[in-house]
Amino acid sequence: MKLAQVGIRRLLQISSALIIAGLLFEIVSLLWFHPLSFVLFAFVAAALIGLGILVYLVSIVLAVSPNPANH
Amino acid sequence: MIGILICQITLSIILAAIFLFRPSLTKATAWKIVAFIGLSVLPGLCLIGGMNTHVQRSETTKFCTSCHIMVPYGQSLYIDDANHIPAQHFQNQRVPVDMACYSCHADYTIYGPLNDKIRGLTRIYMQYVSTPLDPAGIRIPGGFQNAQCLHCHAAARSFMENPVHAAMMDSLNSNHVSCLGSGCHDTAHDIANLSHEKFWKPVQ
Repeated sequence: MKLAQVGIRRLLQISSALIIAGLLFEIVSLLWFHPLSFVLFAFVAAALIGLGILVYLVSIVLAVSPNPANH
Repeated sequence: MIGILICQITLSIILAAIFLFRPSLTKATAWKIVAFIGLSVLPGLCLIGGMNTHVQRSETTKFCTSCHIMVPYGQSLYIDDANHIPAQHFQNQRVPVDMACYSCHADYTIYGPLNDKIRGLTRIYMQYVSTPLDPAGIRIPGGFQNAQCLHCHAAARSFMENPVHAAMMDSLNSNHVSCLGSGCHDTAHDIANLSHEKFWKPVQ
């Protein structure tokens, strides 16, 4: 197993964890009828999900990178 | 609607959990596609759905009056007096009852809804972090704009055929004369005198 592959898998795990955390916060915000639920969604859930997607996209870029270290 | 969104979120969580515990699955092409859907497309759709739900929810009367500071304003919608403009609109369903606040206080411009949300977030910040406002001291920045009345009334026959309105239409359009502050319709949300008011009780 090459080091780059391990790095990409680690990124996938980080991405998954961020997305799961963000989605759980989103569920809480949807079930909680309070003005702060909007804040929870906009500043916590959306940020975590967005960051998770970004990390995943970075992992894709690294995976298809022509750098021989990634192959 | 929320039920469908929660099902979508649950599916997204399950897919993300698969790649959290078994990231090596993405070696296979089929799993690469599943990862793309589970870690990018579905969470993105969940974000859009969540934002849509929250924006729609933030326009409801129930949401507005769930803030402590807005409770007396919600009560003022039930004042049993036809001179109270918000109460008259609410009780006679001249605005949608479940979106009563938003109907009159929305900024009907291209970036209006965004400005409304930013103003709402500022109020939340003041409530929980800075100094909470006194409900009676709340004023709309820049004053209440006639455009918010004219958005509905300007095209109404009863409004247009009223000679008083017709004579001052230019002043109303340019906001030189306020609908609320000119001695014509000047009783709105009189929360300072709520304890002296008689309230309407809707028949269930």
